[in-house]
Amino acid sequence: MPLIKGMLIERPSFRSYFHSCGVFLSVPNVDLPPLCSSRFRSGPPGEEAQVASQFIADVIENSQIIQKEDLCISSGKLAWVLYCDLICLDYDGNILDACTFALLAALKNVQLPEVSINEETSLAEVNLKKKSFLNIRTHPVATSFAVFDDTLLIVDPTGEEERLATGTLTVVMDEEGRLSCLHKPGGSGLTGAKLQDCMSRAVTRHKEVKTLMDEVIKSMKPK
Amino acid sequence: MAGLELLSDQGYRVDGRRAGELRKIQARMGVFAQADGSAYIEQGNTKALAVVYGPHEIRGSRSRALPDRALVNCQYSSATFSTGERKRRPHGDRKSCEMGLQLRQTFEAAILTQLHPRSQIDIYVQPLRGVVSLQVLQADGGTYAACVNAATLAVLDAGIPMRDFVCACSAGFVDGTALADLSHVEEAAGGPQLALALLPASGQIALLEMDARLHEDHLEWVLEAAAQAARDVHTLLDRVVRQHVHEASILLGD
Repeated sequence: MPLIKGMLIERPSFRSYFHSCGVFLSVPNVDLPPLCSSRFRSGPPGEEAQVASQFIADVIENSQIIQKEDLCISSGKLAWVLYCDLICLDYDGNILDACTFALLAALKNVQLPEVSINEETSLAEVNLKKKSFLNIRTHPVATSFAVFDDTLLIVDPTGEEERLATGTLTVVMDEEGRLSCLHKPGGSGLTGAKLQDCMSRAVTRHKEVKTLMDEVIKSMKPK
Repeated sequence: MAGLELLSDQGYRVDGRRAGELRKIQARMGVFAQADGSAYIEQGNTKALAVVYGPHEIRGSRSRALPDRALVNCQYSSATFSTGERKRRPHGDRKSCEMGLQLRQTFEAAILTQLHPRSQIDIYVQPLRGVVSLQVLQADGGTYAACVNAATLAVLDAGIPMRDFVCACSAGFVDGTALADLSHVEEAAGGPQLALALLPASGQIALLEMDARLHEDHLEWVLEAAAQAARDVHTLLDRVVRQHVHEASILLGD
């Protein structure tokens, strides 16, 4: 079974803000600090980090893991904002797969306290004792491939394989075989048949990853 | 904090420890494959990661290269989620810069930089603090100490020669007693706090920093408490290193 390479730590934090529902309710941010690999320098986020952040934002948006309505506390007045910070600790290729996986696992772990609006003071009252899990509607899993000269396709490339590859492809699929995202940033060409192979591999991968994640979540001690 | 007794009559602290007792420390070396050296340490609820790259060629301007020794570059970056309010700028803010500078000064004293002239050693430290509750996101105290201890292990993991271990611990003074290894509650109480980085074999102090007022008569006790705690940390770290080497030699098939 392919291993998820590159470890990530993620902790979505939440604040409630007064604004109308439907505006920037989840803010993902991928950080590739110099500690994860000698190829990254310190300073503002580089190209790779920004591309990864945008990719995660697209995955959240397209696959509708969480519905905006679920984050609404009071329509037109108060909503949760989820800040998803993904920090890479050890970079050995295939950052997009690892990010998606970490994001999903973290979202499944998120517990939001109950918030009610006091009618008299119209202030929010947070009840920390009553927390509920987020309603995760779909489980998108990303599968990345490295392409070599139009012919060879390898799944889950390591850092070295990525560096030597002539192109990459990432497929994000959910449990019903629906495609959330297809990311092929240039690189060498791919025939339609090869693309279909990738899709079927992505379906298998989804099952493997989902089983693993369910196992881990079940084995976690409840807080 | 009103009504909070930092030291009970029987001599027990808020978390049940005695005055000179350390929190539980767990450490692992060689946690990352990409870095030359890495370590992870947990002191109570404070967790720190340290990663070392080097010695390698100077990045950026060659003019910064020192002809007779290595350049030590330390970067401290707290993750955006590790403190109460989500930090927008994890790098470059004053606290991170100050911590980075303190770490650099500490390690310049310990690493045998003369053995690697014209090269650079990068030490990246990232604390990850434990969260107690949503409302009062407490960072358990002793960040500097955890960072230094993690960095020592990481430098050793990278095989960079050092004069000695660098072991750090914090200490405070409450009700006439010196307390070692302050937790967040004790730090927040506002009493005098001392951070000490020690080279245990020679007993030399690499870094000493103190905040708040302390009578000079008491300084000796607090310093001794911190030094003793640092020596206890050294015993622990020494064991971790030996264990790691033992495991590595088994893997190599010696």
